[in-house]
Amino acid sequence: MTGAAVLQSKSAAGEHAPSRRPYLLALIILAILGATLPLWVTNSPFLLMLASHAVVAAIVALSLDLLTGNTGLLSFGHAAWYGFGAYAAGLLSKSLSAELLVILPLTVIAASLTALAIGAVLVRQIGKTFAILTLALSQIFYALVFVFSDRTGGEDGLQGVPMITAFGRTVASPEAWYWLLYGVLVASLAGALYLRTTPLGRAWLAIKENTERARFIGINTGALKLIAYVFSAGLASLAGALFVLFNGAVSPDVLHWFESGKILMYVVLGGVGTIVGPVFGAAAFTLTEHYVSSITDAWLIYFGGLFVLIVIVAPGGLFGIFGNLYARLTGGREKRS
Amino acid sequence: MLAISLALNGVVLGSVLLLFSLGLTLIYGVGRIVNFAHGALFSIGAMLGVWLAGQGLPLWLTLIVTPVAVGLIGALLDWAVLARIRDRPMVDSLLLTFGLALFITGVLYEMGGRHVQMMPIPNMLEGAISIFGFTLPVYRLFVSLLAVVLAAGLFMFLKNSDWGLRVRAANDDPEMGACLGINREMLMHSVVGVSAALAAISGVAAAPIFTAYATVGDKILILAFMTVILGGLGSLRGAVVAAYVVGLIIVFGEGYFGGQMALMVLFVLVMAMLINWPRGFFGEGRTE
Repeated sequence: MTGAAVLQSKSAAGEHAPSRRPYLLALIILAILGATLPLWVTNSPFLLMLASHAVVAAIVALSLDLLTGNTGLLSFGHAAWYGFGAYAAGLLSKSLSAELLVILPLTVIAASLTALAIGAVLVRQIGKTFAILTLALSQIFYALVFVFSDRTGGEDGLQGVPMITAFGRTVASPEAWYWLLYGVLVASLAGALYLRTTPLGRAWLAIKENTERARFIGINTGALKLIAYVFSAGLASLAGALFVLFNGAVSPDVLHWFESGKILMYVVLGGVGTIVGPVFGAAAFTLTEHYVSSITDAWLIYFGGLFVLIVIVAPGGLFGIFGNLYARLTGGREKRS
Repeated sequence: MLAISLALNGVVLGSVLLLFSLGLTLIYGVGRIVNFAHGALFSIGAMLGVWLAGQGLPLWLTLIVTPVAVGLIGALLDWAVLARIRDRPMVDSLLLTFGLALFITGVLYEMGGRHVQMMPIPNMLEGAISIFGFTLPVYRLFVSLLAVVLAAGLFMFLKNSDWGLRVRAANDDPEMGACLGINREMLMHSVVGVSAALAAISGVAAAPIFTAYATVGDKILILAFMTVILGGLGSLRGAVVAAYVVGLIIVFGEGYFGGQMALMVLFVLVMAMLINWPRGFFGEGRTE
């Protein structure tokens, strides 16, 4: 229970200990830095694009942590929902309307309903079966792209997504896109943190801690897990939708299990269950991936190696490491179980 | 008429799947580990087999050397990596084997796994024979027989040997087994080794049919996962029946609906099965 217990004590300590304020302050400063990023990098449009990709990755990471961090269910196929959102939004934009306010809600509703149907069976299984089935699900979605290759473009990917309008005005400039994506990230982050404080969030944490005990005190664990799964899938599909509209095209790679591995890596790197951690994990990972894979072809080796290393030496993720360091530096009580 | 030919091919696929899934079940039974890297071990087997065959090794020797080598790799991985998280929660073992799968795939990519490689069939096993008027390539028959013989051998070994007794004891209750003096570490090394060897031999034996590349194990891993869920996690005899069920479903699905649809049909069936029978065919799968 090391990983979960550390997180648990962390969040418990974070609420009552006086050390919460610096965290919050740092978070706000980082948030402002993030929001003003387009003003800093005016001379390199590439950096802004990379940052936009990082923001999308952060939203997906957040969506997975909504599920894993809250209920302890580990999804090895979260790319399924990300890719679902991307393909659904891409197809909608080409066939129905280029209005953001039409595409996004429709995509999220479609993904949530699908997740509701599939999740109803999945969340009733034990953790291992759940993990296996989510991986299989992503492979199924991957296969679906090729079954309907006349619509989805198959191997070549879905291309020719039109210019998108929001409130009737075209969203074209990279800055506007960045702020749009960033706004979604901040809103969903705030939402996820708020959920933690609600009775629903408390009940989720109880399930994560000990499902059986949660059931004994009268929590409907199945229904609450399903809610977490649907929320998570919905947010992941939103990220996918934003990605395809921003990027203008999507390839079946977004549904590959490597992509699921990446999403999982964001969360593990940032620290499962910290909500904020995975967001930074995703940003750090996306930047690292870009620079390392421009140097070497063997990116997957480093990626897999790092994955293994993090799981073995730092199950709490970077957030856990920094948290411990901070606690040690300030002489605070370092609660490790 | 198509149906019988498909049934024969389904049995061939089922046999390969059987050999592969037994390794998955074994490692799950003893270590409670769901090994996401099992498909990557299959790929190692296939690629190593092709390479060895390219060096001029005869098939029979390749079929021996590959599983031994990959079995050693498996035992080494267990000693070096998996042993580090023995007492951690289940989630960590899932993550770890998933990371290993990525890592091994990355290594295989660098070793030429980006391209599809062919494995030649020796002259003796070429051609086709006809069974009840339906032709089946001799090699496929050979693979099925090999898989069935090996699986039967494994069952006999589990039943009659000292090692098998330990494995069965640890499978039933790892802690009690340890109390009775079973060295869990050594047992786990050997089990992961045997499991890796089984993955490798199914990879190399199937290489002339499935070819060899870095991600050749992906699809068979998904099929094997469906197999162990249908048979019940940790149930050996469940895996035997489920392997052939999955093999037949996939081959019939491919024959009648096309390749990718078959996978979907299988997934829907597995989901439907889980609603009512989450413990698999024999009701002995683990649900804790």
